[in-house]
Amino acid sequence: MSRIIIHIDMNSYFASVEQQANPFLRGKPIGITGKHQERSVIATASIEAKKLGVKTAMSTWEAKRICPSMILYPGDPEKYSYITSQFNSIFNEYTDYVEQFSIDECFLDVSETVTDYLEAIILAQTIRERIKKTCGEKITCSIGIAPNKLMAKLCSEQVKPNGITTVCKQNVLRFLDTCKLRDLCGIGSRIENRLGSLGINTFDQLRKFPLENLVNEFKSYGHWLHESAHGRDDSPVINTCGDPKSIGHSYTLSENTDDKNEMKNCLLGLSDRVAWRLRKEGLVARCVHAIVRYADFTGMTQQQTFTEPTSNGLTLFKTAWQMIEKWLDVSKPVRLLGLSASTLSKGNEYQSLFKKERKVHSLQKSLDKIQDRYGSDAWTRASLIDAHFKERSSGFHSPNSPSAV
Amino acid sequence: MHEFLNDQIDVIASFCQNRVIPKRIRWNERDYDILNVNLMHTAREGQKRIFYFSVSDNTNYFKLKLDPEYLEWHLVELYN
Repeated sequence: MSRIIIHIDMNSYFASVEQQANPFLRGKPIGITGKHQERSVIATASIEAKKLGVKTAMSTWEAKRICPSMILYPGDPEKYSYITSQFNSIFNEYTDYVEQFSIDECFLDVSETVTDYLEAIILAQTIRERIKKTCGEKITCSIGIAPNKLMAKLCSEQVKPNGITTVCKQNVLRFLDTCKLRDLCGIGSRIENRLGSLGINTFDQLRKFPLENLVNEFKSYGHWLHESAHGRDDSPVINTCGDPKSIGHSYTLSENTDDKNEMKNCLLGLSDRVAWRLRKEGLVARCVHAIVRYADFTGMTQQQTFTEPTSNGLTLFKTAWQMIEKWLDVSKPVRLLGLSASTLSKGNEYQSLFKKERKVHSLQKSLDKIQDRYGSDAWTRASLIDAHFKERSSGFHSPNSPSAV
Repeated sequence: MHEFLNDQIDVIASFCQNRVIPKRIRWNERDYDILNVNLMHTAREGQKRIFYFSVSDNTNYFKLKLDPEYLEWHLVELYN
């Protein structure tokens, strides 16, 4: 039996939530930014700002150049997470198969809920109304209905904002031929250019291109391209959240710096945050990635694997700092630092045979309990006493810096 | 203008159909009647759940914070 998949994509999500919360932002071009607005990027532009040419991930100065009247508004992650949980609980009322694709996108497999596409459209309209009623009338979504996830996502991109687009199995090829290669999730500018160099500029040309040649050029990705060109995708809607693949934090400093102590403090703060999240999830990491971005936006990422998996902030910090110190280009000031733990598995940290290390481990458990009870700012290392995580952001912040709130 | 604050305020609220609805706030020795509750969300501070209300009158947007443990209200954001 053919599947019926619904893809729901919230329109200009963060901006719409802020416009719902604050009516004085409605109808105006706004851009949701990070904590240091002048050094940030546009995380989401409102529908009004998009109409004027502002795009997601544009730097704030560029967005202001395009649209001088644009209001820059700092993001409020807790608010967005709450609204996401609200609409996810609505989706779960209609089907057991809900896959959260990102904070503002979900796939729903409604094959067992509805019998045909007409019922699916009625269901989509019902869901849209429920979101409006529960979350607010400014929070709108675009919905795609199709026989698989790939096509459903492509459908939801067609009518924005607030549209419902349906493509049933027999119309998939005709629909694909009206789309550009870049519209498909999985074909970016590089793949598009490589396809272009093979003389492939449309889905029709991609379908007719021999599979063998595609595989020669793109290896296993060639199979995916071939299947996609026929509108085929068997991937299931996975209804579990699953364990994270990596946990990381990065932070754009309030000013570019070449001060190693400032970098170390920042990295240590980030390491403690990552380690706490690992322990909260009952995970340990086998690999740590250190990220540095310089003022000229070049950067480096290095990774190292541990012999024993860890969830200790100090271990993550020491390893990451060793890598950074080795590779750091001291002639360039640093703009951003980041750290990510990966190759995660369930379990506790390796128990040392040495008494001192066992004591540290036991202290860590007690500190975790305090943090669970009173929140992430309940304790800090003495070396980080002059710095704190700025409210309404996940970043690390010195209260003496000019942009302190 | 968008301001971040943390000012303790007095609030008159109704408790209706399992919902808390702020009706009037007193801040800086002035009363403001709430005309719309635009959005409500919660956030965790450790084990504690904090409630936030995004409300407005004709000229101001206020974000109010309710700490249910101490039943304290704070004005945390102002936009006008």
